[in-house]
Amino acid sequence: MLSMNNLCKVFQSADIQTHALREVNLSVNEGDFLSVTGPSGSGKTTFLNIAGLLENHSSGEFLLDGENVGALKDSARSRLRNQKIGFIFQGFNLIPDLNLYDNVDVPLRYRGFNARERKQRIHSQLERVGLASRMKHLPAQLSGGQQQRVAIARALATDPRFLLADEPTGNLDSEMAQGVMSLLEEINQQGTTIIMVTHDTELAQRASRSIQIKDGRVSEVPPLMKRVIA
Amino acid sequence: MFNYYLRLAAISIRRHWGLSLIMITAIGLGIGTAMTTVTVNYMMSANPIPQKSEQLFYVQLDSWDVNDPFDEGQNPPDQMTYTDATNLFKADKAFRHSISAQAFAVIEPQDPDLLPITVNARANSADFFAMFNVPFLYGGAWSAQADTNKELVAVINRETNDSLFAGKNSVGELIRIDGNLFKIVGVIDNWQPTPKYYDVTSGAFNDTEELFVPFSLIAEEKITRAGNTSCWKPSGDGMAAFLRSECIWIQFWVELRDEQEQQDYLTFLDAYVEQQKQLGRFERPLDNRLSNVMQWLENQEVVADDAKMMMAMSFMFLVVCLLNTVGLLLAKFLGKAPEIGLRQALGASKATLFYQYLVESACIGLGGGLLGLVLAWLGLQSVAAMYGDYMKDLTSLDTTMVLLAMLLALGSTVIAGLYPTWRACNVQPSQQLKSQ
Repeated sequence: MLSMNNLCKVFQSADIQTHALREVNLSVNEGDFLSVTGPSGSGKTTFLNIAGLLENHSSGEFLLDGENVGALKDSARSRLRNQKIGFIFQGFNLIPDLNLYDNVDVPLRYRGFNARERKQRIHSQLERVGLASRMKHLPAQLSGGQQQRVAIARALATDPRFLLADEPTGNLDSEMAQGVMSLLEEINQQGTTIIMVTHDTELAQRASRSIQIKDGRVSEVPPLMKRVIA
Repeated sequence: MFNYYLRLAAISIRRHWGLSLIMITAIGLGIGTAMTTVTVNYMMSANPIPQKSEQLFYVQLDSWDVNDPFDEGQNPPDQMTYTDATNLFKADKAFRHSISAQAFAVIEPQDPDLLPITVNARANSADFFAMFNVPFLYGGAWSAQADTNKELVAVINRETNDSLFAGKNSVGELIRIDGNLFKIVGVIDNWQPTPKYYDVTSGAFNDTEELFVPFSLIAEEKITRAGNTSCWKPSGDGMAAFLRSECIWIQFWVELRDEQEQQDYLTFLDAYVEQQKQLGRFERPLDNRLSNVMQWLENQEVVADDAKMMMAMSFMFLVVCLLNTVGLLLAKFLGKAPEIGLRQALGASKATLFYQYLVESACIGLGGGLLGLVLAWLGLQSVAAMYGDYMKDLTSLDTTMVLLAMLLALGSTVIAGLYPTWRACNVQPSQQLKSQ
């Protein structure tokens, strides 16, 4: 369902070319829980941005559900993002001016659901993450763990096929991180494909597959190796 | 989505109320200043009788000195001599024609307890009322026969009727002017064409007259002539000599219903002047003119150059206010770059975001427009207070001006918001999402 063939990403600034990703060949199948590890500056976030259609690749091929996304215009990429991809970020990225209800409502608005459908989905997702009783609260009134749960509820509200998580536990203490990780595992077991960038090798080994990015090159980490790394 | 964007705009304006207030104030000041001057110019240049301004023509004949042309030869004299005006009137070649001049009268009330009233008057022919669509509260105009027979009849305005007769129907009542008894035949309802196009020589924005009497009574000295008079030859002594002189002091209008009538009337004027040339008058080249209402107002430069200059300057001030707003909107929208990046990640296209932020710009513009209307109203009140009665008819905001103010505010703010919105929508979402 997600396939990258000889995919490269080069950043050009003035006279300097930076190769963020080099000849990436990767397939992610439906139901996978893929962890992405690697040192800082290795290209993990660039990989996730390209996978999430937030950035274009420089060369190679990227197929999403068989569709070559390289040539798509902004509006088509936005529609694909809204329909197929959910995002979770390290900094939660909730809109501070909007309450929880309205935050979860954002992707549903762009999807064009009617008011009743939106309401039902918002209630359902906030209940799923245990925050239905606080839907009129502003993000600043919640703890970090609770904010990340709202972000997960927002990501899942449109029933995406992919969930892209960039260091989802990076700003949480270990107890909260465990809670969020358990929630992601539960979501994956229900059929959502997850790609998670993390520094935390312990969390990475809980994924069903792992890749490592180093100097822009992607390599699959075999299950045995995962245990060695751990 | 429009309602959603309105709600987001309201939240954003509330959240950043200080910045929003500065923008609304800047736009309000610009709109208020621009609308104050636009309103004055608009009222000055308004068509005072749109339904027939194309059929009413001011008549000019060049009877002036051959050695010292009127208006340096640019235009024929702006009024007419008694000789020419009465000749044209007697010729009766137009569908309707009005001969008129400003006059002055003191009305002596019949009630001995009341003080005499000094009024601005107009001596005019009967057609004046029909030609200029003068509305009557009671009675009507006098007849053409009354002009010919020099009857002592009068039409008064509503205000004078209120003063003299407590607002009752005074048709048939008598008023004493300079010792003569005039019979009231009509009372005019509220009537204030702006500009006062039928006589701009004594102030295009003055009030209409309080008393109207037949023009023929001037020659009989039953009413005192007033207004501007220009002479290029000595007028001689006495009223009879003055009436025979080359002094100009009369406004002559004709009503011509189509182009054929206009052409015929011009031919008649040319023939008349040629005839007068044979009598030793009209030594200047033939320059007879018929100007319709709007042409006449333009010719007389009713909209003063300094008013146009003020309007241009006020629009420049509006541009300065809008440039400030561009800067503030840019700061506000770029400050929202993380939210914009997030919305893109959640499925908003650049076009969608552009629409959302333009709605927010328009809401700020709407606020600025409303404030601008209040400031424009205050500005017009200040103009009225500063210039008094002369400007009082030019300082009211009508529906057109209110709509124009709102459209100007909305349009200019949306235009001002284009660049900040475009910049904001082109942020790289991946960079914004990581930096939050």
